[in-house]
Amino acid sequence: MFRRSLSVCCRQIGKTFLSTLPEDVGLPSNLKLPPNLISTAKRERPSPVGSGLPVLRKCEIEIPPQLSAKQAWLESLKDDTLGLVELHPDVFAVPPRLDILHEVIVWQRNFKRISHAKVKTRAEVRGGGRKPWQQKGSGRARHGSIRSPLWRGGGIAHGPRGPTSYYYMLPMKVRVLGLKVALSTKLAQDYLHIIDSLEIPTPEPQYLLDLAKQRQWGESVLIVDVHEDMPENILKATANLKTINLMPVIGLNVYSMLKHETVLLTVDAVNFLEKKLLWHDHRYSPLYPFRLPYNDFP
Amino acid sequence: MRCSLYALNRSVVMANMALSCCARMKNGIKILKATGNFSRVGAKMQANYCVSASSSQTYPGITESTEEYKYVERLIPPSSVPTPPKHDQYPTPSGWRPPAAVPPALPYMVRRSRMHNVPVYSDITHGNRKMTIVRKIEGDIWALEKDLKDFLTHTSGTTPLMQVNEVNMSIRIKGSFDKDLKSWLLEKGF
Repeated sequence: MFRRSLSVCCRQIGKTFLSTLPEDVGLPSNLKLPPNLISTAKRERPSPVGSGLPVLRKCEIEIPPQLSAKQAWLESLKDDTLGLVELHPDVFAVPPRLDILHEVIVWQRNFKRISHAKVKTRAEVRGGGRKPWQQKGSGRARHGSIRSPLWRGGGIAHGPRGPTSYYYMLPMKVRVLGLKVALSTKLAQDYLHIIDSLEIPTPEPQYLLDLAKQRQWGESVLIVDVHEDMPENILKATANLKTINLMPVIGLNVYSMLKHETVLLTVDAVNFLEKKLLWHDHRYSPLYPFRLPYNDFP
Repeated sequence: MRCSLYALNRSVVMANMALSCCARMKNGIKILKATGNFSRVGAKMQANYCVSASSSQTYPGITESTEEYKYVERLIPPSSVPTPPKHDQYPTPSGWRPPAAVPPALPYMVRRSRMHNVPVYSDITHGNRKMTIVRKIEGDIWALEKDLKDFLTHTSGTTPLMQVNEVNMSIRIKGSFDKDLKSWLLEKGF
């Protein structure tokens, strides 16, 4: 009885003692926050709809009458906000299909995969052609070869065999919808920014890091332009940076968009994306592959 | 050894060519004697593709022209579905009607398919289980489901089973109602 009450008392004392310590003592080490962390919640930007700034870019492709264009801020890497741009709702405001995002990301990871794991079967392991001892009379278990899977040093019965390809293609329309969903979710979560051009005043990487910190873009930024020939300053600035990456718009993919916290698109990239992604909504099935010439291929 | 064989080969080829030329020349002379017409001889020589001194003056040479490419261009097919032309009278002889210019003031919207048709499809499984699917729904899908239920109970008497798929934004109805639903949606203006 005394021992029981002692254990109960100890537990009570332990609880009170633990409550005086900081709260994350019982947490695993990867979840403990450093004590000198100054965490600032991301400040919300005003919505672009109500402001009186001019709309500097309108959608070239017709918007269906029941939907209205999405508006977004047009920013610059040098100065402040320049105005508004209108984005097509069928590219930037599609319903958030997380299952499609998952499908496309799994496909992106696996379709390029070739696993080179290969082990030798009993036929390939050196030796083992001769019957080790006679079938009957020796008193030992009956065996046919010293390299059967039962033996130490023997072949593997059902191991990985040779380079295996995990290649498969998702339908083109699923991949296109994946891009649209990724762009829409990034815009809805305020992680998509439209910029006018990629010109920066200095080729210093610190300029981009400070800019990202000041504008609260997050840890990683993906900058997308139409062509590969971008201004020299930004090429030099991002050359050695791991978290800020440049990409031509033909290389835009769901995995990269989700890997980077913020995505910056130039207005030319937005034009390109709208044209290419909306063509899939009203195209024929391919009579012959689309890489061969058609009358009005975008 | 190889050089001599090559030379031998070449000489044989040259001899053959000479022989063929001679043969063709003989033919040409025959034609000349028969018709007395130099142009016929020339034409015959050209037809035989003989490179000899007399016909090289009349051989026209090769001209490159890009003007005939228009006959190729008009054969290349388009890649995107065209917008339907404006007809005088609707419905068209096939029964097609365009969507209303102003979308109806309802909490939901049913878009047209890429071929500008109403997206109501019939499905059949196990050979006898007929279903109807309404796809491409936007907005409040449950309001559309309620309206569909009311309409179908009114027409058929019994309430059919319906499955609302909120992820795909489609409604699957037990029974085949595709013609009724198509006309109903057209009346609504979708």
